[in-house]
This record gives sequence, structure tokens and C-alpha cells, in this order.
Amino acid sequence: MRIVVAEDSTLLREGLVRLLAEEGHEVVAAVGDGEALLAAVEAGAPDVVVADVRMPPTHTDEGLRAALEIRRRRPEVGVLVLSQYVERRYANELLSGESRGVGYLLKDRVVEIDEFLDALDRVGRGRAAFDPEVVRRLMARSTRTDPLARLTAREREVLAEMAQGHANRAIAERLYVSQSAVEKHINAIFDKLELTRTAGYSRRVMAVLRYLGT
Amino acid sequence: MGETETADGTGGTGAIGSAGDAGRAEGPVPVPAPSHRDASLRRLAVRGGRALAGLAIGALTALAGLLAAVPAGLALLTVLALPGARRAVLRPLTAVGARVARAELRRLETFCGIVPPAGYSPADALRYTLYRIPLGLLGGMVLALMATGLFWFLVGLLGWFVILVDYPLEAIGTGLLGAFLLVLTAQGVYGTVLLEAGLVRRVLGPGPHAALRRRIDELATSRSEVVDAVDEERRRIERDLHDGVQQQLVALGILLGRARRSTDPERAGRLLRQAQEENRRALAELREVAWRVHPAVLDEAGLSVALESVAERSPLPVDLGYDDGGRPPARRAATVLYFVVSEAVTNVVKHADATRIRVRVHRAGSGNGNDGGGGGTFGLLVEDDGRGGADPAGGGLTGLARRVAALDGRFAVHSPPGGPTTITAELPCA
Repeated sequence: MRIVVAEDSTLLREGLVRLLAEEGHEVVAAVGDGEALLAAVEAGAPDVVVADVRMPPTHTDEGLRAALEIRRRRPEVGVLVLSQYVERRYANELLSGESRGVGYLLKDRVVEIDEFLDALDRVGRGRAAFDPEVVRRLMARSTRTDPLARLTAREREVLAEMAQGHANRAIAERLYVSQSAVEKHINAIFDKLELTRTAGYSRRVMAVLRYLGT
Repeated sequence: MGETETADGTGGTGAIGSAGDAGRAEGPVPVPAPSHRDASLRRLAVRGGRALAGLAIGALTALAGLLAAVPAGLALLTVLALPGARRAVLRPLTAVGARVARAELRRLETFCGIVPPAGYSPADALRYTLYRIPLGLLGGMVLALMATGLFWFLVGLLGWFVILVDYPLEAIGTGLLGAFLLVLTAQGVYGTVLLEAGLVRRVLGPGPHAALRRRIDELATSRSEVVDAVDEERRRIERDLHDGVQQQLVALGILLGRARRSTDPERAGRLLRQAQEENRRALAELREVAWRVHPAVLDEAGLSVALESVAERSPLPVDLGYDDGGRPPARRAATVLYFVVSEAVTNVVKHADATRIRVRVHRAGSGNGNDGGGGGTFGLLVEDDGRGGADPAGGGLTGLARRVAALDGRFAVHSPPGGPTTITAELPCA
């Protein structure tokens, strides 16, 4: 795939570029701040952008801002955001609107190279990829009043897999159940979360959003 | 000079230019020169001369005040029974009184080193202008006596050395009397200045209640500012960890991962060697961060060694002078002194475009007008030859000011455009 890397630490940027090149990807640009990232996307027409959340000048969430801007301008470009720690707000912002080709990984996850490349691949193919840690955190805070609390343990597992961006077949493989069982669970989830079929938005995305606490 | 002759037990009321005003430069804090003795003699002479000038002016204004007070008093007497008219007379009087009081306070500050109180009522100002008339006249009398003494003293000298008089004993007597009067009136000058300060405090200064309230406000302010400063530091530490150490560890992990995935053993070996190098760098970074969080050497070897290490680590030459008179500061004060120097040096290196830095830290005797209760103070000075224009309200400097304020110290930044920048601080260290 054609990839743009945005990361302000030179060291890490170089490491990522080398790694991606060794894996046979084409890194069209490697930049160090949000402005340059937007310019690189305009110029290089990448398939995926890998962006650090914190970048100069303020080191707060420039990377995320740039990522959202890219999603607005060029929805066909996949965006994989790397964050220092789990921030539900980031996950929510990335997921609101079009959820094709977004990913949110903890930065440390890059070290698990297989997982990182897998997430990158999924985002590149227009799917979602959420860090297991993000998902685990969000799992931990469901309460009685939460509609999520009405889900069975199995349905919750399925929803967690969904939130990580896996398709039905992958969920079936990962949970060792049949695909039709997964579909049944998903329909039950939609019912319990009161997501009726309406044109204009994906029930799957709505479920994940509900799950991630928006 | 900033000395205050406060002797009341409420802790230097109105003496300290409110330590809580962190970040607001309060004029340079005096840092006594190393050559103590002659400097203090010279200071004494200068102060004496100033006090004389101050009293002379005060006497003249008292005369003028007396002349003005008579018609004003008469005017008041005539309308005493009519409330409306009384107000009409009182209002302009009060306005004039306030202006006069302000001028008097300026005089006292300039010539006698009496720090003016803040926040007095116009009525108090009017009362003060009345009360100080006799005091001013007293000052005038003291001066007149002094002049007399000086005259006699000179007469005696002349009679003895220059003109051969027939009455040598009288000449000696006159000279001695003159000298005696001089000594006496010198005391009188000092006493009058004290009286002036006392009157200002009594009439215009805050009562004990207000003083306590102000002190509480000060403490509340400095407390919340310290919390802010600590939070700010924590934020910085978090950034140091995440933007430095974490990035290096992730990069290290990527190197290891690449080595593992590599099919070519030679390349794998090269990547591993790189990873090892990266590991070394990450450890060095971690050491740096830990050092910035708290320099362990401060606890182990004390302030002077810690300051030396600041000087060694600085890329610019640092001329360091440290003198604690053989008694190192208490740990709290030492930590703050260390951080002020260390941050100030870092700031200079980052922003000032300087070629050299001068750092002075020394014990400044005891009780330099600060309410440390005889614990002595430490003076600190950091000076560079850079381009100046440092903003005392900037993040780094306010943090330092707050830390100093938390220990009831004083902190000032003097940084005109074009330089040089001078940071001074004074810390009581009980």
C-alpha cells in the first residue's frame, strides 16, 4: 500500500518507515507535524495514513485533528492513529461520522509488529481497527443503566470484536462459533441497543459507537 | 533598599511587597555585595544623608501644612453645625489630604526607606496629614539644632587651630558642646524617622486584624499557586516520559521486531546491534528525566555540589559563586534554590542568546527585613549577557516565582530589551 507516516520523533519515524518498507509497503512521505501531514496527503494520494496523536506545536492532539480533517476531505484514505494512552474521546471522534477505514492503536502496540501490520492492513482495506486495550477499558465501565448491561456475556464478546473492526467471519473464527451464530448474536445486539434498520447509517457502526460510550 | 523598621510582632506588616504577587517584578531584591564591611558603612552614610534631606523637606511641608490647616480648620468650624455644608467643605479637604498624604509617603519612601502601606481610606489620609505636621516641625527643630551644633563645633575648631583666642578653654568647651549636640541630633534624626514610620503604620497601616487577613490571603494565594506549579511540573515530567523515553522504547521494539522478522542473519545481527545502541540511549534519556524530576545529588551531597553539576551540564560557561557561610540551607530552601538556578540556566540557554551566565548563591546575613524570624536569608542571583526581554509572566518564570513565594521569599526578574537579564531571589531559610 501507499502510506504516509506522521510522527514527530525522528527516531520512531525512521523506524516505522524502515519497517513498512521491509514489509513491501511504499512510504510516499514521512512528516513531523499536522500541517505537513495534510499537505503530504494532498500530494501523495496514499491508501493509509499512520499518524501520531501528539505532534508539534502544542503536543496535545494535532495528529488527531489532522486525521479528522483527512477523513473529512478524503474519506477514501484510511487513517490509523497512534496514541500514547487510551483516550475514549479520541476513539469517539474518530468513529463519529464515517467509520470506514479508521484505526486507533496504542503506540506501544507498534512493538507487536504482527498486530500493527494487521491493523494497518485492515484500515487500508476500509475496515476498522481498535486496540484491544481500548476495547478492554471500555468494557470495564458498563453499568446497570447502560443498555450494554442487558447484553449477555457472549453478545458482549461479539460486540467487542466488532468494535475492534473484525468482520463476521473473523469474529466467528476468533470466538470458535459458526458465522450464523455470530449473525444471530449481532441481531440480538441491534435489538437490545434499539437500533432499527434505517437508511443512512450503518447499524454496525452505531452499535460500536454506543459501545464506545458516545 | 527595602529595609523596614518594623518591630511589631505581626510579621513585618506592610513590609514585604506582598510575596503572594508571584510573577510581578517587585523591583530588585537587594543582594548584598561580598565585600560586606565598607559597603555597609557607605550605605549607612547614604542613608543618613537621605534621611536628613527627607526631614528637611518634611519640615517645609509641615510648615506649609500648618499654614493651610489654620484656614481649613476655621472653615470647618464655621460650618460644623450644618451637615450639608460640612460635607461640602470636607470633600475637597479630603481630596487634598489624600494627595498630600501620597506625596508625603513618596517622600518617606524615597528618603527614609519607609515602605508605603496600601489601601488606606481618604479619611485616614486626612488625619495623617494633620498628625504629621507636629512631627515635621519636630524634624525641622532637630535639623536646626544640628546646624547649631555644627556651628559651635566649627567655632571651637577655628578657635583652637586657626585664630589664636584668649580663651582656649571656652573654645574647647564650645567645640565639645557642638560635638555633643551633633551626636544628640544624629540620634534625633534617627528617632524622628522611626516616629514617622510609626505614625504611618499607626494611622494608615492595616490594623492587626487586617494584617492577619492580608497574610491569610497571601498564604491562600501562594498555596494555590504552588499546587499549580507542581501540576505544571508533573505535566512536564509526563511529556518528558512520553515524548522521550517512550518513543525510544517503541523504536527499540521496532528494531527488535525487524531483526526477528529478518531472514538474512547478517542483517538481523546489524539490527540487533542498533537495538543495543538504542537501548543505551533510552537508558541515558531515562537518567536525564529522573534527574530533572529530582536531582538525587541534592540529598546526597548538598546544594553546592548540585549547583556545580548544573554548571557542568550547561553548554554555556557558568561562573558560579556559592557561599553559605559554612551553614547549608534547610532542605526545603535548598531544593527551591536549586530549581531556580537550574531552570533559570536552562531558560538562558534556550532563549537568551547569551555567551555566559553568572550565578551567585550566598547566605545574606540574617533578618534582612524579612519575617524569617532570625533564620537568616539566602540571596540568589542569575545574570546573563543575553538579549533580555524575558517575560516574567511566562510559564517558566511564574513557576519559579511561585515556588519562591511559597517559602515567603521574594523573586524578581529584571530583563530590559537588549539585556542583560537578572533574576534575583531572596529566601528565608529557617
